[in-house]
Amino acid sequence: MDAAALLTLTGLRVDRGGETVLDGLDLELRRGEVAVLLGPSGAGKSTLVLAAAGLIEVAGGAVEARGRVAAALQGAALARRSVRANVEAALGWWGVPRPERPGRATRALERCRAAHLADRAAGTLSGGEATRVHLARAVALDPDVLLLDEPFTALDPAVRGELLAEAGDLIRDARRATLVVLHDRTEAWAIADRLLVLLGGRIAADGAPAAILGAPPSEEVAAFLGFTGRLELAGGEILRLRPGQVTTVAPGEGDLDGTIEALIPEPDSAIARVATERGRLEVRVAVPGPSTGELVGLRLLGGARFEARA
Amino acid sequence: MSALVDGLRDGIHLVVTGDPQLYDTIGNTLSIAGRSTLIATLLGVPLGCWAALGGGRSHRWVRLVLAAGLRLPPVAVGLVLWLLMWPDSRWGGGPLAGLGWIYTTNAIVLAQTVLALPLVAALVAGGVEAVPGGLIQQARALGARPLAIAALAMREARPAVIGAILAGFGTSIAVVGAILVVGSGLSDATLATAALASWNAGGADAHAVANGLVLLALFVLVAAGATSLQHRRTAWTQLRS
Repeated sequence: MDAAALLTLTGLRVDRGGETVLDGLDLELRRGEVAVLLGPSGAGKSTLVLAAAGLIEVAGGAVEARGRVAAALQGAALARRSVRANVEAALGWWGVPRPERPGRATRALERCRAAHLADRAAGTLSGGEATRVHLARAVALDPDVLLLDEPFTALDPAVRGELLAEAGDLIRDARRATLVVLHDRTEAWAIADRLLVLLGGRIAADGAPAAILGAPPSEEVAAFLGFTGRLELAGGEILRLRPGQVTTVAPGEGDLDGTIEALIPEPDSAIARVATERGRLEVRVAVPGPSTGELVGLRLLGGARFEARA
Repeated sequence: MSALVDGLRDGIHLVVTGDPQLYDTIGNTLSIAGRSTLIATLLGVPLGCWAALGGGRSHRWVRLVLAAGLRLPPVAVGLVLWLLMWPDSRWGGGPLAGLGWIYTTNAIVLAQTVLALPLVAALVAGGVEAVPGGLIQQARALGARPLAIAALAMREARPAVIGAILAGFGTSIAVVGAILVVGSGLSDATLATAALASWNAGGADAHAVANGLVLLALFVLVAAGATSLQHRRTAWTQLRS
């Protein structure tokens, strides 16, 4: 176990409902870092959190924690009592002496900008307010390892944006290792020091977000991270591109030409799905702009290259 | 018709004027039912909580037994207890003969407890099962140990727990058959049995009606308490969703 590692999962295997969800997963969480775990629905992200927190039985491998692990699970499940009483109850479960609880609860609620909710009944909170209290309850414990499972789900975009902007400061602690499970890639860039991608029951990518986005370790990871374009190059190489890595130009003036198959509207633009002789790409186009069936030139601005599989 | 009217008038008179025999029976009823409800609560609440929170086979079996216990016929319970407590004689004695409880108030308390216990435990189990599983798992994820989990579940299911205790009390004060079997020498020990004994002795006399009136009043109080708690619980459920 690395000196800075606070949680180590080694060869972790978890079976649920007769199926293997995690299969030989290795992961080490280190002191001071905020790692974000991404993965498609059903990849086993929540299962990983439950296993790491010791809440479910594992079929194989080992979970080794240096210090105490606390998890804020998906969905802000609060008890039928006041907000303050919810946080203090969690401190009680954690073993914090009674005299210390009010002060710690107040400080945690203040950090999560939920101090004004302290005397409200938990059942009267909105989704955003409940999420803040849910976070405060976990942060108040000051665990050595903090696991947060999709803390921003079920929030409207405005509240999510507000919480995301604050989340980095809120959850980052030099003494703590933090793992945040997210479903939305864009949320990950806001808070992650380290990005983990869970595919096929294993960690398929592990590194700094910019490094992984710049050079995804596999075509599957690239596809998951939004490299939606796929071209087959000469020599058996595969080029994966994000929409932002392609621009449209006049036919014959770019790297290759293609025909627009479909236009997917976005608030201020559209994503054009373009068929070329080497494969399909997606490119962001202005609205109004080219229309379906139109021939466009495409200039490629980077992308990630992979060996084609036999 | 006049017998009913006369019985009601005389019965109300006994209640209002504080007839010593009637109030003695009320005191006995509340004391015996209180003791059996207390025992059923002390045993049934933790048992129901344990059965609801555990996911193992033994927990499922206990839930099944409790559900079956809801339908125990009081006379059958009385007969079984009578056999268990039957004193030593030339035909032998029951395994509980040594207690010397047969035809005592202890036997009545035991019979009422046996009938109330599965009811209390099953209703508590139902209430605890209705507590959102996410909350229980979240508490575990924040370090709660089994006792703290049980305390949380009971607190969340508080209306159901109180309702279960009231239902246990209601069962205790209403039992007739089992008490007549194990406490036949004490047929005027509780309101329910005293009403029946008075009726059998002389028809619709004032004491039978007075016993019945007070018993009905107690039932209404218990039912009102349980209904009130149930409404509070429903309101909370709507709020949470």
